[in-house]
Amino acid sequence: MSQKTKRACKVTALAAALLTAYGPVLAAGPESEVSIGIGNWSDDRPQTGIYDGMRDSGPYFLLDADILKRDDATGTWYGLKARNLGLDDREIKAEWLRQGNIGLSLEYSRIPRDSPWTINTGLQGIGTTTLLVPTPSITPGTGTNVELGTVRDQITAKFFKSLGAGLNFNVSFRNETKEGTRAWGRGGAAEFAVEPIDSTIRQLEALLSYSHEGFQLTGGYYGTSYENANSMVTTSLTSGASPFFLSLPLDNKSHEFFLNGGYNFTPTTRGTFKVSYSQATQDEALGNFGGTASPLAPTHLDGRLDTTMGEIGITSRPMPKLSIVANLRYRDFADKTPVQGIVFNTTGTPTVYNTPFSYTNRIGKLEGTYLLPQAYSLLGGVEYNAQDRTVPSVGTLWVPFRANLDETTYRLQLRKSMSETVNGSLAYLHSDRDGSSYVLPSAGPIPSVGEPNQDRINPMHISDRVRDKWRAMVDWSPAEKLAFQFVIEDGKDTYDGPNTYGLQDGTARLYALDASYQVNSAWQIHAWYSRNETEANEITQRDLTTITKSNKLSEIGDSFGLGVRGKVSDKLKTGGDVEQFRSVNKYSQSISGAVLPATQVPTPDITNTLLRIRLYAQYAVQKNADLRINLIHERWSTDDWSWMMFPASGATPWAYGTTTDGTTVSANAKQDSTFVGVRYIYRF
Amino acid sequence: MLETSRPSLLPLLTLLVCAVWLLAGAQQLAAQPAPGKESPEEICKACHVEKYDSFVASRHGVKTDSRTPASRGACVVCHGDSALEHAKKGGGRGVGGIVNPGSKTMAADAKNRICLACHQGDPKRTHWQASVHAGRDVSCTSCHEVHTAHDKVRDKLTQPYVCFTCHKEQRVQVNKPSRHPILEGKVSCADCHNVHGNNPKQMVKSSVVETCYQCHMEKRGPFVHNHQPVTEDCTICHQPHGTTIANLLKSRPPFLCQDCHASLAGGGQHPSQYAGPPTGRTTSSSALGTVGRGCLNCHTNIHGSNSTQNSATAGRFRR
Repeated sequence: MSQKTKRACKVTALAAALLTAYGPVLAAGPESEVSIGIGNWSDDRPQTGIYDGMRDSGPYFLLDADILKRDDATGTWYGLKARNLGLDDREIKAEWLRQGNIGLSLEYSRIPRDSPWTINTGLQGIGTTTLLVPTPSITPGTGTNVELGTVRDQITAKFFKSLGAGLNFNVSFRNETKEGTRAWGRGGAAEFAVEPIDSTIRQLEALLSYSHEGFQLTGGYYGTSYENANSMVTTSLTSGASPFFLSLPLDNKSHEFFLNGGYNFTPTTRGTFKVSYSQATQDEALGNFGGTASPLAPTHLDGRLDTTMGEIGITSRPMPKLSIVANLRYRDFADKTPVQGIVFNTTGTPTVYNTPFSYTNRIGKLEGTYLLPQAYSLLGGVEYNAQDRTVPSVGTLWVPFRANLDETTYRLQLRKSMSETVNGSLAYLHSDRDGSSYVLPSAGPIPSVGEPNQDRINPMHISDRVRDKWRAMVDWSPAEKLAFQFVIEDGKDTYDGPNTYGLQDGTARLYALDASYQVNSAWQIHAWYSRNETEANEITQRDLTTITKSNKLSEIGDSFGLGVRGKVSDKLKTGGDVEQFRSVNKYSQSISGAVLPATQVPTPDITNTLLRIRLYAQYAVQKNADLRINLIHERWSTDDWSWMMFPASGATPWAYGTTTDGTTVSANAKQDSTFVGVRYIYRF
Repeated sequence: MLETSRPSLLPLLTLLVCAVWLLAGAQQLAAQPAPGKESPEEICKACHVEKYDSFVASRHGVKTDSRTPASRGACVVCHGDSALEHAKKGGGRGVGGIVNPGSKTMAADAKNRICLACHQGDPKRTHWQASVHAGRDVSCTSCHEVHTAHDKVRDKLTQPYVCFTCHKEQRVQVNKPSRHPILEGKVSCADCHNVHGNNPKQMVKSSVVETCYQCHMEKRGPFVHNHQPVTEDCTICHQPHGTTIANLLKSRPPFLCQDCHASLAGGGQHPSQYAGPPTGRTTSSSALGTVGRGCLNCHTNIHGSNSTQNSATAGRFRR
């Protein structure tokens, strides 16, 4: 008997016992159900099974429960919800609630993530903080196959208590552990490494809220902590040569206090506010990285992030046909970590410093909607965002910085609503972002190689930008049983700035059509089609002289879905869905005044296709029990060349290193798998 | 499969404990009082038995909670006093002036006022009136089903499909090869977005980074060497709804990295390299920006580094 089958027997036996013992007793109030079954995937699903705990072919046990009972005399709810108990991504939640008075819940949830890649490697020490890279290199493909992945285990507890007179207290606590491994690099050389993951996130939130008629006030505390069991990974070649010491994220924690509320001054005018202050710190010992740190380097960072936020707003209807929304928001994210020398030259003068970054945003927004005849309305709005940003004053700049950014956004929307047949909207957005002059890296032009534009780039997130977006959406119900929805979106970003390089423009378009038809009281059909087109044009630096490189990157996606639901008879329900998602990515490169070198391997198009067919039939074997059969067929294909190299002899998996390592990474380019499952569903 | 992903008995033990607990609670059920025969909901039930049943079975139907419609007049609380006139006249769509928040022809803010009369007190909804949804005529009933045992938008597994009704682009993105576990019901739209609030991008926290830190707190730092965009907004490099590039990247290295970096000095020529897979095994950094993890083959700690190694290149996220 396989491990999975053994596990299944235990689970099934327990579920059966639960049904027998407690099902009939609980036969009152809201409906509950328990389902037990077994299913089988015909083949491995490395891509589509990343998260669902069913990556490998074989049998899986299916156990779900949704038990909800209520004691009407006291208004007390008893809930137990379990999903995928037979799978790795299982979750279960128990809840007890005396409604309007007191309640608590406890929830467990596991999120597995299995890497879709198969890694063949000679790396030693995977999962530990000491890694040895083989030297000499293994012959690619002759190492050990390893599969990486992580598992998150979350436990969440919540408590609620009404303190009377509109006063409520809520507290929630989550403990989340994350364990596993992740593909990494050795940093000092382009060799394969694996990051060991063993960390815990904790979050506690406590709220005291008051509500009385038109007045609401909430104050609370939100505290978090991150603890990493490891702080450094030591790597070297198996010969002991080339030791590299890789840092890991260090423990950090935060405390936040907040207060927000709202008050209805009149039935048509409401004011709101928010204030919060948080402080995050990171002060774990930094270590000396195998003795490679300077004795002058700090032993602790004394990291501190202070965030202050305040907002006031008003919503009002000063006239029957006019409503307005206005607010002012201030957010200051201040990295108050002291700037210290990290790297020192032979005279003890610091040459590299730590790099705190701070941002202050001041945002004002005004939006008005005016009701027009025949249920049309016109919305107009403007939003202004002024941002102050840190420009490092010590150390080396690697990219241009700006001290200020300003962005103004205008919105206009015409809407038609409240119609039985046609509703919709046509929206336009225009925004304009610019800012202060650039502070360029100090390296400057390199006359010796004829490069006058060294580091002269407009980084995409601080570049001047004009954005125009249109969105049209129509809901049309030509008949009571027939409905269509049309969506068209078009957006264009145009980037500009004084520097030579950077993103030039980007476009995004979306066309979507949805339709649904109620054939009769028993059958319904729905279908949809969606096309996405995105494109980005970049000018990037090419080595030497004034040659520039132009990149045109695009993605076109065509996706559709078709679904049917129906009742064949009073006892038999059936239905199914077909969905296909296909995307084509293109990477076009050219250089100014020349052609790409003949030795340059082109970047072929990449096409990803996912076809998913799901069918089900559910038959009522008795009044409160069904038998359900599920059939799923998945076909995934890709020609992604990310882990390939292209010698003249033809494409082959790329191998890390030349004289060392030899790790290869591969993904199954075509993955077809079929699932057949049968469940017994019992309601009570 | 991972060793760490082996099943544990914890959930099953929890299930057993909870079942016993449920049994204890169920023994009290015999004390349920019979519903009042003269209540307004009994009048409505005569024609709307399915709606009545779902109401009674819901949290709205709990009479011991002084806040609920059941304890404050039942159906008329949401459907108006005219519901009784509607019944007197024999029913029919709109007859008697009955208020129907599920109707297409009722104004969104009028529908929402009904719900907010009780639900504005929820801290997540304090700022509803200033939210993007409220400003675009989205009503509570656009997303929520009241008369059902299973409100799809309140279940992580089905919630995204409710959101896809309007957000078509995300319907495709969540099916791309690099994505969050949204289809599996492990991450829902509401884990990141408070659609009832007015934070920028409707985030549950006051910024994108604070929202992401809920699950990715190792990115918060502060690090010795911070990568500036990481401290500002994760969506500068990542598209959280799904992409065709590993790790939810918006674009493939080196193209993505070259949108900010154009430098020949210090690091040879590799920030300006062509994109393209290599022709063979190589250690040349000018040929390794595309294959595998791209630029991250070497700049492996791209979110930030805590290394204090006394190296001039210490700030480049390689250690």
